[in-house]
Amino acid sequence: MSNIIKALNGLLAWELTSIDQYTQHSEYYEDWGFSKLYERISHEAEDERGHAKMLIERILLLGGKPDLETRHPLPDADTVPEMLAADLELERKNATELKEAITLCEQAHDFVSRDMLVQILKDTEEDHAYWLRQQLQLISRLGVERYLQAMM
Amino acid sequence: MRGNSTVLAALNKVLTRKLTAINQYFLHARMFKNWGFSELNSRIYKASIQEMKHADDVIERILLLDGLPNLQELGKLYIGEEPKEMLRLDDKLQSEDIRYIRDAISTCEAEKDFVSRHMLAEILEQQEDHQDWLDTQCSLIDTIGIENYLQRQL
Repeated sequence: MSNIIKALNGLLAWELTSIDQYTQHSEYYEDWGFSKLYERISHEAEDERGHAKMLIERILLLGGKPDLETRHPLPDADTVPEMLAADLELERKNATELKEAITLCEQAHDFVSRDMLVQILKDTEEDHAYWLRQQLQLISRLGVERYLQAMM
Repeated sequence: MRGNSTVLAALNKVLTRKLTAINQYFLHARMFKNWGFSELNSRIYKASIQEMKHADDVIERILLLDGLPNLQELGKLYIGEEPKEMLRLDDKLQSEDIRYIRDAISTCEAEKDFVSRHMLAEILEQQEDHQDWLDTQCSLIDTIGIENYLQRQL
């Protein structure tokens, strides 16, 4: 089980990083007056907090010690498109590691952890990453000013 | 009730058009959704469902007339690659459909099938409304530019 706990802690670091990153980005959006982006991204931070809670609970159930200190470095993004692109990048890295952890759980026959991770992966793929990708497409289709005007 | 074979043929032709439109609108709606244009998605999705209801009316009428509704035939789908092209292609499909429905109405009138004629006239009215909406969208794109237009469709 120790390698599962290690993998779950690795994923926890991504969730904690994304809570920070989404909170930071959403507050910028609010400060800049893009309230629609603020609403969406602060909601993402809530989702990530939910994921982190699931991971922590599972690690504790498995008798492990949740690591709440490790984080990945936050991106250096100053504009809305850069921030959205950085968020997408984070979701992609998180998804890659989720897939590795799912494979690991399958091998270890830890089907309950696996099921939980698949749920998180589904949120990541279908909700977060998909939405971010759409926004970046919209920016290139409409131009950044028009996009931002719609996000006020 | 045995229906007139000319009328049945005309109704089946309209049915083919309806089945084609259902598919074209449905795919376009979901392409708009995929790109984040939820207003266009919901409008075009509803158009697809409306076409399905028309198809249902035509199928039931053909059965009542003891005919065989032909659901095998499907016309060519005009699928665009970008929003402007997609709306124009929907407009094209819609104008062609209107022509077919008008022809079918004349056939019904000539064969004195006034109930089929009445059903088709009701379909035609909704059809014209949707075409009018499509015309408006195409003209909006020309007047305000595609980027401003699309911004309003999020």
